Amino acid sequence: MEYVNPEGLRLDGRRPMEMRQLRAEIGVVSRADGSAAFEMGNTKVIAAVYGPREVQNRSQQMNDQALVRCEYSMANFSTGDRRRKTKGDRRSTEISLVIRQTMEACICQHLMPRSQIDIYVQVLQADGGTRSACINAATLALADAGIPMRDLVTSCSAGYLNSTPLLDLNYLEDSAGGADVTVGILPKMDKVTLLQMDAKLPMDIFENVMQLAVEGCKAVESYIREFAILLKKKMGPGYATAILSKNGGSKS
Amino acid sequence: MVGLSVGEKNFIKHGIAQDLRNDGRKRLTYRPIYVETGVIPQANGSARVKLGATDVIASVKAELGRPSVSHPDQGKVSIYVECSPTAEPSFEGRGGEELSAELSTALELCLLGGKSGAGAGIDPSSLSIKEGKVCWDLYVDCLVISSDGNLLDALGAAIKAALSNTGIPRVQVREAASSDEQADVDVSDEEFLQFDTNGVPVIVTLTKAGRHYIVDATSEEESLMSSAVSISVNRQGIICGLTKRGGAGLDPSVILDMISVAKHVSEQLINKLDSEIEAAERANEEEP
Repeated sequence: MEYVNPEGLRLDGRRPMEMRQLRAEIGVVSRADGSAAFEMGNTKVIAAVYGPREVQNRSQQMNDQALVRCEYSMANFSTGDRRRKTKGDRRSTEISLVIRQTMEACICQHLMPRSQIDIYVQVLQADGGTRSACINAATLALADAGIPMRDLVTSCSAGYLNSTPLLDLNYLEDSAGGADVTVGILPKMDKVTLLQMDAKLPMDIFENVMQLAVEGCKAVESYIREFAILLKKKMGPGYATAILSKNGGSKS
Repeated sequence: MVGLSVGEKNFIKHGIAQDLRNDGRKRLTYRPIYVETGVIPQANGSARVKLGATDVIASVKAELGRPSVSHPDQGKVSIYVECSPTAEPSFEGRGGEELSAELSTALELCLLGGKSGAGAGIDPSSLSIKEGKVCWDLYVDCLVISSDGNLLDALGAAIKAALSNTGIPRVQVREAASSDEQADVDVSDEEFLQFDTNGVPVIVTLTKAGRHYIVDATSEEESLMSSAVSISVNRQGIICGLTKRGGAGLDPSVILDMISVAKHVSEQLINKLDSEIEAAERANEEEP
């Protein structure tokens, strides 16, 4: 199948290096301490953060840092063909773990000892890149909850099909069998916190594809920062400091 | 769950007794209801309903299936509810399953009528394509995103809105060679049929807290609940289903009283819901 046509357009009309449309919203779950919705094209997820709060299971309490927990779930109607799946299958356990580890890298856990932070992500629509969308939503929700963070984490995927590196794969491209590289970065610290790839790629091509995914992450970052600045104007100066504190680097 | 002190509980209870609740509502007033349709493009129909801080999504998917042997001339409708942990941390893992099952059963009781399909909100014989061969199976999937009490009424409203948003492809049956073979069907991807959702009932839950009962309880008020009765009423004022939840016993005369109150409240709710659904559909059409 042809994933990039001779004119250089992809199945959904994007160019190879083009992201899908991003959209963010904050405060979507009014009873949570922090919440956000994040859309990348047709992929739509919401994240809710509860905490920092008392540790529910005492044996998990840590005296020097906060406990971070994460659960990923997919709605029955999120995929094209409806299927009834059991909760806690291997795929969602693995994604929960990945998201947790990625978020742990940016939360200042040492500032909140003996407490617990729960991150719940719920996929409403899946069209490729749910992992990335979940991480971006979780970052926003953590910021909305006012949880101290070292930096934002942003994530984006890239792939390689028809000898072309493609940014931000959708479901069709994702299931085409080519490589799919998901990257999560801490943009200001310039560090990679998440890197996953399936299938195989030659070394030099991998470098290009990963570079493309990192560029995608940076684009997501600038979108989130713009969004936060807009919010700050609306909500007052104390809002979203976690997102904006590293902006410009002069305040710290 | 909500942790309330004795003082707070008394405050809420006395407010209810004086017909002035915490958020300024009267005992029989609903919170503002907000409807958005077509939120899940992959589904045949979908809707999101917000009732105060309660937020639910319902989606309808239609699949071709085989009618059951006992009712060859009818399609099948099933309702599943899922409680997302985003709504309440205790729904994590398998924690939400009990509530999910309770809500699914209550919704099936209130909306789907009896086993024969009599009294159903959606006429199951309208889902039949070829008797004994093919029919539509409707899967109604609901997701609770945020919960601030009165989930059942919100879910009922969301299902009603999702059904009126639903388009079922027109199907042509090609004559099968012999009668016992699988029927051959053509599913149109251009022509869609709409449901008649006039008969779909709304659910009104009356929560008994103290000596009085209230509609559309918030989760604080639900924590004082001794028992609750959910009544589904259609436009004609006919009761289509009823469930009682909660442990405490109710006087039979109180239940009859509750039913007549629910009937009265449902009229306003149906009108409000219909105008919201219509407004949501119009907003969808205006968008490119």
